[in-house]
Amino acid sequence: MNNLAILPIILPLLASVIVAFIPKKLNIVRKLSQIFTVVFLIIVGYIFWKVFANGPITLQGGGWDAPFGITFIADYLSILLVLTTYIIATAAVFYAPYSLSDKQEMFYFYTFFFLLISGISGAFLTGDLFNLFVFFEVLLMASYGLIVLGNGKVQLRESLKYVLINVFSSMLFVTTVAFIYSLVGTLNMAHIAERVEAVPAEQQGILTAVGILLFFVFAVKAAIFPLYYWLPNSYVVPNPVVSALFGALLTKVGIYSIFRVYTLIFVQDTGITHQLFIWLAMLTMIFGVIGALSTNNVKLIITYNIIPAIGFILMGIGLYSEEGLAGSTYYLIHDMIIKAALFLLIGALVVAAGTKDLSKMSGVIQRFPLLGWLFFIGSLVLAGIPPFSGFIGKLLLLQGSLGQGEVLLTIIALLSSLLILLSMMRIFVRGFWGEKMEGMTTNPRKVHALTIPAVFLIALSIFLGVCAEYVLPYVETISNYLLDRTEYISSVLKG
Amino acid sequence: MVYAVFAPLIFAIIIPFLSRLKHKIHTGWLILPVPLLIFVYFLQFVGSDFKTSIATVDWIPSLNISIDFYLDGLSLLFALLISGIGALVVLYSIYYLDKEEQIGHFYTYLFIFMSSMLGVVLSDNVFVLYTFWEFTSLSSFLLIGYWHYRERSRYGALKSMLITVFGGFSLLGGLILLTIETGTTSIRGMVEQADVIVNSPYFLLILVFLLLGAFTKSAQFPFHIWLPDAMEAPTPVSAYLHSATMVKAGIYLMARFSPIFSEVPIFFILLSLFGLITLAWASYMAVRQTDLKGILAFSTISQLGMIMAMLGFGTSYAVFAAVFHILNHATFKGSLFMIAGIVDHETGSRDIRKLGGLMTFMPMSATLALFGTFSMAGVPLPFLNGFYSKEMFFESSLGLGGYSGSFVEGLVTAIPIIAVVGSIFTFIYSMYLFFGTFRGKYKENELPKEPHEAPFMMLVPPMILVIGVIVIGLFPNFFNQALITHSADAVYGADVTKDIKFWHGWNSRAFQMSLIVVGVGLLLYLTKKKWDSIYNYFPGRLNLNRVYDWIVEKIESASNKITTFYMTGSLRLYITLIVGTIILITAGTILFTNGSDFEISDVSSISAAEVIISIIMAVAAIGASIAKNRIAAILILGVVGYGLSLLFVLYSAPDLALTQLIVETVTVVLFLLCFYHLPNLTKDTSSIVYKGSNIVVSIAYGLLMMVIGMTAYNSRFAETISTYFTDNAYKLGGGDNVVNVILVDFRGIDTLFEIAVLFGAALAVFGLIKLRQDKGAK
Repeated sequence: MNNLAILPIILPLLASVIVAFIPKKLNIVRKLSQIFTVVFLIIVGYIFWKVFANGPITLQGGGWDAPFGITFIADYLSILLVLTTYIIATAAVFYAPYSLSDKQEMFYFYTFFFLLISGISGAFLTGDLFNLFVFFEVLLMASYGLIVLGNGKVQLRESLKYVLINVFSSMLFVTTVAFIYSLVGTLNMAHIAERVEAVPAEQQGILTAVGILLFFVFAVKAAIFPLYYWLPNSYVVPNPVVSALFGALLTKVGIYSIFRVYTLIFVQDTGITHQLFIWLAMLTMIFGVIGALSTNNVKLIITYNIIPAIGFILMGIGLYSEEGLAGSTYYLIHDMIIKAALFLLIGALVVAAGTKDLSKMSGVIQRFPLLGWLFFIGSLVLAGIPPFSGFIGKLLLLQGSLGQGEVLLTIIALLSSLLILLSMMRIFVRGFWGEKMEGMTTNPRKVHALTIPAVFLIALSIFLGVCAEYVLPYVETISNYLLDRTEYISSVLKG
Repeated sequence: MVYAVFAPLIFAIIIPFLSRLKHKIHTGWLILPVPLLIFVYFLQFVGSDFKTSIATVDWIPSLNISIDFYLDGLSLLFALLISGIGALVVLYSIYYLDKEEQIGHFYTYLFIFMSSMLGVVLSDNVFVLYTFWEFTSLSSFLLIGYWHYRERSRYGALKSMLITVFGGFSLLGGLILLTIETGTTSIRGMVEQADVIVNSPYFLLILVFLLLGAFTKSAQFPFHIWLPDAMEAPTPVSAYLHSATMVKAGIYLMARFSPIFSEVPIFFILLSLFGLITLAWASYMAVRQTDLKGILAFSTISQLGMIMAMLGFGTSYAVFAAVFHILNHATFKGSLFMIAGIVDHETGSRDIRKLGGLMTFMPMSATLALFGTFSMAGVPLPFLNGFYSKEMFFESSLGLGGYSGSFVEGLVTAIPIIAVVGSIFTFIYSMYLFFGTFRGKYKENELPKEPHEAPFMMLVPPMILVIGVIVIGLFPNFFNQALITHSADAVYGADVTKDIKFWHGWNSRAFQMSLIVVGVGLLLYLTKKKWDSIYNYFPGRLNLNRVYDWIVEKIESASNKITTFYMTGSLRLYITLIVGTIILITAGTILFTNGSDFEISDVSSISAAEVIISIIMAVAAIGASIAKNRIAAILILGVVGYGLSLLFVLYSAPDLALTQLIVETVTVVLFLLCFYHLPNLTKDTSSIVYKGSNIVVSIAYGLLMMVIGMTAYNSRFAETISTYFTDNAYKLGGGDNVVNVILVDFRGIDTLFEIAVLFGAALAVFGLIKLRQDKGAK
């Protein structure tokens, strides 16, 4: 019992309210937001250290013991994701002033920003299924506010699709929660897990069906094939900093929920559920990367690249083995960081070249070498070239999949890595290389300011790869912890 | 040893700073000592009393990845080539590259490559090897694209990257399988468990994965197409990466793993077959090229094929010859590339049709080229190393056997024939290369520059290599004992000591084959004009490059088609597809697990009022979806809402009913307020099929929810926790209304964040309206 578990949710909520009071005083709001974010990052870092030193921290909301109240649990997986979220938030908050217009910032960018962080942290930390729904709503509303920031016609059109599809999935979520409540009579995830386990095998069919239904709720959020229609355009239209937050964090909330629910609750019939994940992972990788190759819009290329990464993470969950889960966890962290970095870099590229259209770009590296090389390294990281972070996760995943004889899955994963690389190298070869183009920006200092936050994220990606030895023990702890559910259940129910 | 490998990488980081001084001193001079010292370092291992040595640094022990550099004969040979030719290439590039260019970049890439290549040949850990392997591909990509403002450079760079990284990923698959099967990440450990691998169910897959890696890297047919395009790189790079070192990584890999595979017939078949096809095809194609570097590129491909084939033969003699030829090829081909670069540099052209008669202008270069080309052709002279290995190749191609099966027997018979045919063409293009460039008529008007001899220092590197050609030719057994034997031992896995002899007597079959090659080759070379129209028929328009271009082009256009096919932008379609997927898979699961338990006996009785209200609601819901104008639609929708609150009343939940009533009223009023701004409903013109499928999907979804709902109602596996709330609402929560206590106390956090949602919604709406007003004001 420790209030630390809820701090990453409450602090940004407070911050979001505070900055909402002084929207017009931009200088103060910016500085304040930056200070808040950095301070929060330090606090979260402390909680992270605490969790790995002493085990999961739980908080029974309002002092009502589980399963009657709402439980928050900062365990190894959730706190690692929260920490990553705050790292990305820090990069974003320093990028925002250069990327957004003053007007956009005044219309509560920072409020929505903190609200989004709060919602995401909540989704990671909560131990209650209905409460998870509430945090989905929070981050949906915050992301809605961020998409329409600027009020362009395209933004409104795409945000409508985004909202409607998400509202649909929310409705399905509530319905499914009701089904689950009807079946096992509880909402606390640890308690559900305990009760599901007690159900005799021959009666578990309905549980599996409801499990699949719940999977689809998360799959819409996580952008798994064939449910990601809402994603590409709604991520392309907003400002790069918003896209970076979305690309790095939003889909990851969905995949985290799958992670949680299908390692904790619905593991009674993995022959159906997890096998389904493997098939969907393959399709997600293929169609995602096909999307990334289908366009000349540089931002859209990065956006589509979110999808195959989700396929990789889903693959590990589907394998449901120590290596698979460790690989997925590593890949998840890696992908959050590199996606944020790439979106920030693409934002800088679009400013530098003055266009999003790859066919009109060339020779950008001649004026912006730092941007070009960061992008090049970023592409290698994304494609899983060693010794960068993408490789470690991919290696674990492939070891897991080949170890279980999933040859087709492995070949598809390797091929999509190659195509991911191709999609990124198209940008590098056509946009960065070549004759210096006409019409490059007249404001190189802005491009520079936009590049710097990404340096920090790319450096982190390199660290995660080269110094994987420092990170792997954590990831292995997580995967063993996920496979053995008793620690989670006991720390919630007897904590 | 670790320092030797990483030194170039460390320098690669410093080079951009060193290159700031380039106007005072060419960066090349500053860094030349690095490869030279590495060369000297490795040289000290050479000798007849060679012993293997090992150096270890931990990297990622959790994944069994540690940097184990293991130096045996094979690694040593490669390390000497990499550092030695590396030093020569740096020296050569000082004169080749202008200071005005971005030479800092050039040397950075070159040094990254040098480290990676040393890493490839020294790593015992497969994943470290793989890491370095990918880095050789990447540095090659950057070097080919060095002049990236040229379209052809970009094309060649991307092509080489795609093909070699494709092979790299495949290699990764193979290496992972190997580690799974043997439980070790060390190559030596794997070799010890060769029988485990050979008997593994994944054996064939492992072999194919590894072969794809090796064939793409070493430009074997049909993956060779990237190498000719890689010639867009500056010539020092072609000499270094694309002839002497990087393209031999695939050979190295096969040599390294051959102790595991050598007993397996399929390994013999695949390697010899592809090697020989590559040899024959590339030497045939080389004759057709007009660009000096083009000829050399195809020549390199064919020589690589020859080495690959010898590794496939797998006899101790063949392995010995393969290793020997790796060294010989590096010397003569490296020098020829450098000469081609000199010709290009001094005449401004590499087109052999424009060149000719350069002997008088460039006597030194011509002499060097003479040795290089004749050695490559395998002309039987005792001071040309190329002849020795070529003859050993012939020797090893004879009398292969020990395998049964008609295909294998046919192959065994065909091998010497293909070997001779390939070598005939090798002879032809070697002659063509030398005589076409340096003899014949001087075509003054066709050359952009007045030709003259290169500066002396630029001639030094090829000269050193040519001296190597001659010295190895004169004293083959000295090199044999000091280096080649140890390399061959490492590959073959047992002592391979061979005496290299020039003269085997007239009766030697290999010598007879050499004579055929020279005789027929000479004849065909002299009559080349008469028969070279054959290329118009074969391969004619057949071209593997087109296949590559077609694939790359198709990937883009097909991706575009597929993606625009389902990403139409239509929200209705999206929802239909999403719901459709959910129905199919969930219903499938229910059927598969027999999970439905549809039972109505347990349901409480239904009153008439409930039935009536439900019917009204259902009719209203249908009505709302087909209503022709907005006001009607909204009002009818209101009926659904009010019906719901009536149901709440019937279920004795007055507070919920009240809330529902208020929400419904406010919604309808809000809608009516917005009316003014909304366009009229457009007539629904979608097709019957479309409408029909929507109806089907909607009904199916409703049915699915009903089945699951009823089953869930019937399968209560445990007591609900709700009794706790009713029991304790007053006692612990201090409230009579259980719902209220739940909302504000038991689950107060839900409520807090729902309020946060409203807070966000309010600000978002405010922002939208305000921004719109501001725009209007402008």
